Amino acid sequence: MIFREVEDPDLIAKARRGDVEAYNLLVSRWEKRVFNYLLRLVSNREDAMDVSQDVFLKAYQSLPKLDDPARFPGWLFRIAHNEAFSLLRRKRPEAELAGEPRPADLNPRLLPIELSLAVETALGRLSPDQREAVLLKVYQGFKFEEMAEILECPVSTVKSRLYTALDLLKATLAPMQKAALRGEL
Amino acid sequence: MSCVSPESKPDWKAYVLRELGQDAHRQAEAHLATCSICHEEVATLRLTLDTLSTLREEEMPRRIAFVSDKVFEPRWWQRVFNPTFAAGVLVAVAILIHGFMGTGHTSQDQVDAAVTKAVSQVEARHMQEIRAMYEELDVRNKQVANMYRNAVLSR
Repeated sequence: MIFREVEDPDLIAKARRGDVEAYNLLVSRWEKRVFNYLLRLVSNREDAMDVSQDVFLKAYQSLPKLDDPARFPGWLFRIAHNEAFSLLRRKRPEAELAGEPRPADLNPRLLPIELSLAVETALGRLSPDQREAVLLKVYQGFKFEEMAEILECPVSTVKSRLYTALDLLKATLAPMQKAALRGEL
Repeated sequence: MSCVSPESKPDWKAYVLRELGQDAHRQAEAHLATCSICHEEVATLRLTLDTLSTLREEEMPRRIAFVSDKVFEPRWWQRVFNPTFAAGVLVAVAILIHGFMGTGHTSQDQVDAAVTKAVSQVEARHMQEIRAMYEELDVRNKQVANMYRNAVLSR
């Protein structure tokens, strides 16, 4: 007998019928990706954790509204995007008072590798829109069309944000890249 | 060879991000094979993407859990040893024992003393747990500091 891994749409169908275990499995498959996406957006571990919890709760409540289970990843990240930007809007005055955007609130002792820190810092210098475009494309692997659905904007806007971000990252990371190639890192 | 028509250059960012259609991808590869300027541009873009990929994926501080989540539902002994529950049980037991042994002349002071004793026992246990956590954290911090020092020295 050939065993097939249970696919997300199977789990979604079960969860829609009230099977909490199926939804838990779905959560365990996606929670780390969603958490990391949110962490880079909101730049704070506890906020990212709280928002992740809200995202999966909202997703569970809205599961019956998901028309096509195959579109679950984009739909889930759409919810995550809305929750993250809702938090950022609420925290904006506080962030403005804090001054310059800073890299994610991570314990530096856990990230001793300079290259990783440089990437973290470079991402922190992008605008939230640009950073999100990089996160969705480079780290989450969404296609332009899927990103346009998640962000509710035209593909041209997605490309513009992403391309500008890549140019900025290229310029920021160039010295680090060259040092790495020379074997200094 | 130089790129003679920059306006008609392939979309290199879409190329490295695998967003070009099959035909456009083939045309881009053909162009790339003959154009050193574009070759360098693509190499830089790939290097940037490679550098971005060095960003570590962070572990979650805790798992996502739901109220009706059986996976995360505490077992019977976890419920018993839950601090709030345990404190409640200790207080109840202290009051009961006091009630049985008091034979009718229970004073408020005796009740207060029993409650204080029960709460202090729970607090002492919490302090012990916190101390153990701090000790473990200290050990890990030292390990990370050593790793960092070794990494810097080996450069």
